[in-house]
Amino acid sequence: MIVLLLLHLGAALVAPALARWWGRQVFLPLALVPAAGFAWSMTRLPTVLDGGEVRETVPWVPTLDLAVVLRLDALGLTFAALVTGVGALVLLYCARYVEAGDPGTGRFAAQMTAFAGSMLGLVLADDVYLLYVFWELTTVFSFLLIGGSGARVAGRRAAGQALVLTTAGGLAMLAGLVVLARTSGSTLLSEIVSDPGEGRLVVVGTLLVLVGALTKSAMVPFHFWLPAAMQAPTPVSAYLHAAAMVKAGVYLVARLAPGLADVPGWRPTVLGLGLLTMLVGGYRALRQNDLKLLLAFGTVSQLGFLMVLVGGGGAELGKAGLAMVLAHGLFKSTLFLSVGVVDHAAGTRDLRRLSGLGRRLPVLAGAAVLAAASMAGLPPLLGFVGKEAAFTALLEGGVPDRAAALAVLAGLVLGSVLTVAYTVRFVWGAFARTPEPPDLPEQAPAELEHRPGPLFLAAPTVLALVGLAAGPLSPLLDPLLARYAEELPLYAPETEKLALWHGLQPALALSAVTLLGGAALFAVRGRVSRAQRRLKSPLSANAGYWNLLQALDRLAVLVTGTTQRGSLPAYLGTILATVLAIPGVVLVTRVEWPGQWRAWDSPIQAVVAVAVLAAAATAVRLRQRLAAALVVGITGYGLAVLFVLQGAPDLALTQFLIESITLVAFVLVLRKLPLSIVERHNRIEKVGRTVVAVGAGLFMGLASAAALSARTAAPVSEEYPALAYEVGEGENVVNVTLVDIRAWDTFGEISVLVVAATGVASLVFLRRRTGALARARGAAGGDAVRARRAPRGRWLSAGGTLQPQRRSVVLEVVTRLLFHTVVVFSVFLLFSGHNSPGGGFAGGLVAGLALVLRYFAGGRYELAEAAPVDPGVLLGLGLLLAGGTGAVGLALGGQVLETAVFEATVPVLGDVKLVTALFFDIGVYLVVVGLVLDVLRSLGAELDRQEEENDPIEAAPDEVILR
Amino acid sequence: MGDITAPDLSLAALAPLLFVFGAACVGVLVEAFGPRGNRQPVQLAVALVGTLGGLVSVLLLAGRGEVTAGGALAVDGAALFLQAVIAGLGALSILLFAERALDPARSAFVTSAAVPVGSPRDREQAMSPRVQTEVYPLATFAIGGMMLFAASNDLLIMFVALEVLSLPLYLISGMARRRRLLSQEAAVKYFLLGAFASGFFLYGLALVYGATGSIRLSDVRAYAAVGGADVLLVLGLALLVVGLMFKASVAPFHTWTPDVYQGAPTPVTAFMAACTKVAAFAAVLRLLYVAFGTSEWTWRPLVYGIAIVSMVVGAVLGLTQTDLKRMLAYSSIAHAGFLLVGVIALGAGSDGGGSGLSSTMFYLLAYGLTTLGAFAVLTLVRDGDGEATHLSQWAGLAQRSPLTAAIMGIFLLALAGIPLTSGFTGKFAVFRAAIEDGAWPLVLVAVLASAVAAFFYVRVIVLMYFSAPAEEGPTVGVPGLPTTIALAVTVTATLVLGVAPGPVLDLAQRAAIFVG
Repeated sequence: MIVLLLLHLGAALVAPALARWWGRQVFLPLALVPAAGFAWSMTRLPTVLDGGEVRETVPWVPTLDLAVVLRLDALGLTFAALVTGVGALVLLYCARYVEAGDPGTGRFAAQMTAFAGSMLGLVLADDVYLLYVFWELTTVFSFLLIGGSGARVAGRRAAGQALVLTTAGGLAMLAGLVVLARTSGSTLLSEIVSDPGEGRLVVVGTLLVLVGALTKSAMVPFHFWLPAAMQAPTPVSAYLHAAAMVKAGVYLVARLAPGLADVPGWRPTVLGLGLLTMLVGGYRALRQNDLKLLLAFGTVSQLGFLMVLVGGGGAELGKAGLAMVLAHGLFKSTLFLSVGVVDHAAGTRDLRRLSGLGRRLPVLAGAAVLAAASMAGLPPLLGFVGKEAAFTALLEGGVPDRAAALAVLAGLVLGSVLTVAYTVRFVWGAFARTPEPPDLPEQAPAELEHRPGPLFLAAPTVLALVGLAAGPLSPLLDPLLARYAEELPLYAPETEKLALWHGLQPALALSAVTLLGGAALFAVRGRVSRAQRRLKSPLSANAGYWNLLQALDRLAVLVTGTTQRGSLPAYLGTILATVLAIPGVVLVTRVEWPGQWRAWDSPIQAVVAVAVLAAAATAVRLRQRLAAALVVGITGYGLAVLFVLQGAPDLALTQFLIESITLVAFVLVLRKLPLSIVERHNRIEKVGRTVVAVGAGLFMGLASAAALSARTAAPVSEEYPALAYEVGEGENVVNVTLVDIRAWDTFGEISVLVVAATGVASLVFLRRRTGALARARGAAGGDAVRARRAPRGRWLSAGGTLQPQRRSVVLEVVTRLLFHTVVVFSVFLLFSGHNSPGGGFAGGLVAGLALVLRYFAGGRYELAEAAPVDPGVLLGLGLLLAGGTGAVGLALGGQVLETAVFEATVPVLGDVKLVTALFFDIGVYLVVVGLVLDVLRSLGAELDRQEEENDPIEAAPDEVILR
Repeated sequence: MGDITAPDLSLAALAPLLFVFGAACVGVLVEAFGPRGNRQPVQLAVALVGTLGGLVSVLLLAGRGEVTAGGALAVDGAALFLQAVIAGLGALSILLFAERALDPARSAFVTSAAVPVGSPRDREQAMSPRVQTEVYPLATFAIGGMMLFAASNDLLIMFVALEVLSLPLYLISGMARRRRLLSQEAAVKYFLLGAFASGFFLYGLALVYGATGSIRLSDVRAYAAVGGADVLLVLGLALLVVGLMFKASVAPFHTWTPDVYQGAPTPVTAFMAACTKVAAFAAVLRLLYVAFGTSEWTWRPLVYGIAIVSMVVGAVLGLTQTDLKRMLAYSSIAHAGFLLVGVIALGAGSDGGGSGLSSTMFYLLAYGLTTLGAFAVLTLVRDGDGEATHLSQWAGLAQRSPLTAAIMGIFLLALAGIPLTSGFTGKFAVFRAAIEDGAWPLVLVAVLASAVAAFFYVRVIVLMYFSAPAEEGPTVGVPGLPTTIALAVTVTATLVLGVAPGPVLDLAQRAAIFVG
């Protein structure tokens, strides 16, 4: 079997090349491929009739239990014969249908052949996943075949619609199959059917699989894709949308019915929707004027019929169903192919414009009438046999519930009446001489455009004749169909063989009723169509589909528009809101809160807290960037005050200094930005943001409180004071911790500082690490003119380079007086840090602030005068010193960064204790100074220079992220 | 004060990391001291030697399972598999970086990223024939960080790896040669939000340490198994997950993804979409599996929920996108959700019983290759303004360049999960694993989301094949050797993993072992 499938694949692959040489004749050899499949399946007939089966297993992905398991049993053989037989004839038909020299021939031929292969695979597959693969392949090829060359909008829409619906159904089916495979413990269809397992899951899985089957077979409410798919070329409609693909759903239901028909929900779904589909399809078919559309709705109706039969889950019904499947495959493809010939010959398919074709195309008309008779259920055709069997089965039971059986029967009879009516209308419209004057401007041409050749007529004729012959010969079919029916429970009192004549029975009367009713309906067709026009339903599944798609689209646009606008606060808000929603809820619901709460240790803390809170609230309200930055700074200073109150002067000092330096950096950057913050948010957004922000703040606060109260182990820091004094030989615990106990950390941190400083600088100075030192001396010449009206006394060495309106004498004087003092103080802090507040970090910051003062008072040249060194040198030196200290510790026999102490008495200074950690601290000091200098030079001096030298920046204004 | 003892380092086990980080350091040195003229080939060679060397050394290590570096690194099957994936995808990305034939300016990267957009110097450098090469060591560092991420057996190393992989990514997202403002906006957003996410991770780390007294994953596991999970631990876990899910662009932490994917240079987007995803999920798997495997109830509902959100958000929002890069970004969000379906299926206990781990690993490989390829195709279709990523510009592409359209079609089908492509195998594997674990409602959602997502992938195929080509539409560039290699590898892999995935699945299954 796998060879057959590979044969199809190979044929599909070479088809485009062959088509280039042979043109449309390529279909003739291609038709041999499904024909071979047909022949092969016939050779296996004896095996199957003996109750055997043919099975092939090729492992594909063993890890996932995916294997190519093919199995041919009675059901499979029936469908395989139908699919390959009709496939071969349709390909034969294509050899004349396709215009000679059509450039799309190769593609079309390849797709048709590939489709035939996938369809064959679908009915042979025994593994559920393989089934799914073939299922989706048929979907994809159907999509390609409906879309055709893609030249027409309607074709594209129809192709897309069919694809979306059947793929969605296919995925639901996959989910269902996976569930069923889980419950039954096997991925083989045969084993699922024999033991589906039990429980709620089986129901879920079954219903999901049914969704797939129903969409594929165009059941209400998914039926609308099939008529739309009639955009496809006629052979495609005949094969995919009559004989083969739409039968896949029927096949699946037939395949699963033996095992799953008794699952709750199966019968209501299958029988109910099947009947509804039969009626809706028949009713709509009565209304169509396009022959092909008429057939399409007729197909919908017939599929409903088949679904009822194979889904009923009884032996008799199942047998009747299979007979009808064969009959339908034969007559519907004949009819479609005939319409193709009519279309080709007359140039139209509108039954109001066609007239008298029957006389001009007698062979075709004969075939079509035979097929139509089969569809209407006229003896002696196969359609009659099948319908008769169905009626009999239902009359005698057929489904477990007797009342349901009769209700279904009533529905089927009504549906059959409609079938007869539209069938007559079809034959009359296509072939009869229509006496009524058509009120259309354009009549069908009197002469045929093309006269169909024998090859063109071969396929419909053969199919029609088979349908004719199969009626009387139906007892020969019986053994095969009975093999399948054996798997199903028998609800009727006894089995009955398929035959043309069972004697005078109630079913025969029902057939007569349908025929008469249909004929009557046709007779009053004028009134019927007027009534139909009046009753035109406002509900349309097709419109519903497009509305649904549109709604989905609109929803997506709406959601995108509200959540994905590119706004950073909105993005952050999403993340924070999620944090509140998940960890936040965990926190609130599960945490053990501290046993007691103490508001404050001293009331001053409360005052500070109020000030901090007020500052935070003000920062949100302020419109001016600089002011906002300053107010944010207040929160930092407040924290420093809290440190003081807790008795940590060193931390407080550092915090104060850091806050100041940060402010300076802020100011330097913010002067480049627009002065005020533009507020563009409406009330709701503001409220939302406030909620998220306050919530996030509360979350962090509460989490900290919870974390503090959840402490069980003793804090590491308890040992620090003793360690600092005994090992580090210092009284300032913070400082000793920095330079000794946790010196490794500090070393890492200053490395990061160096990197950060370098990064800032390199973003501003593009070519070198830092700009050349622009000293005041070089600039003095040019600036002398400007400086003429400046104050005469030179308090600062480069003060004269500033423009007069920017100079401030007070600031210059203060700077002059303070600078050296501050620098000395910073050195003092550095040295005293070991035992009292201070240290390299604080000292460095103080020195940095001194430089800031010089820069603000005297401008960029002044900065160069104050610190005529490359910040890189400072940074490097600092790092070297700190690292060197570590090495020295190692050299002295200790560990890396271990402190060594030297004590000596020096004449002037008295007792001096030298701790090697001091050198480490000096390194820190240098790095910090270097950092501040770097920030000042890049964000301050260099930006000043760019402004003075007028480097314009033109941003392209239309560049926005598309959303 | 306790003596610091040097941890035992198994150099062999660390060889892949050493290779990659070594190459990155050499790259920095080349950048600093190498002559400018032939830096590009040298850097390319160094980066490729590093990543491919890493790949080869991982392959040589196959089958190993040990904890080294003082317990900080776990070199086990899962780590090695994912490291190999990262190194391989990384090498392919570096090939994309090296493409010089497509852009008239010979590179997708700006010569000097710090030059303000629109300044005279910017115009000057737009003309200059210089090619920027810093991107190679940066990307190599990121790859190294990702590989470290996959092997980290302790939360602190995980954090360090997270930063090592993130910082270069922030930087290189801002380096696009064209549409520089977009690119810089993307970089800033990525950085700011990423910094927040890292902050959450760090806070979570602190809480976990506070609760368990250890940052070693195995200790956390032992604590959670014995002492139950107290609130600090759960809170810490939740925050860690927030940090990691951000990197994996799982909704609702995905908001940065579309903007960054669109703004970043396309080769970088390819790199991020493929490698970052793998690395982030490697860490997620390890964290949830090794540290919290015994206390599944703590994370299962959480992951369950965000998996659903991610699939739905990715699939539904993807529908409205008109830009291919953004569409693929949403696709990446949806796929993150599918991956989480596999994560859910880790199964109780860490004995490797559940097939969730192996199927997730396979999915990562399949998805990484496919998405990398898809982005690589995006670099080919260009108009005068750079890459033409608007959907309407792709109309009728099949007529302009049948090969390009066919390749893109294969990638899109794989992303949609159509059988015979790697996407189907991957999806199938994770869904099956999840069902075995009883998570079939999640699989139902996943299947529905796949259907919706399939719609927008197929839409592109329909557009390429069935629409009339746009007037004055884009041209399809002829790629140079690097992109050609990358495309050939990814297309082949996408098909092979779809048709005959058996050996790779077996490999993943054998590799699905965590030590720790």
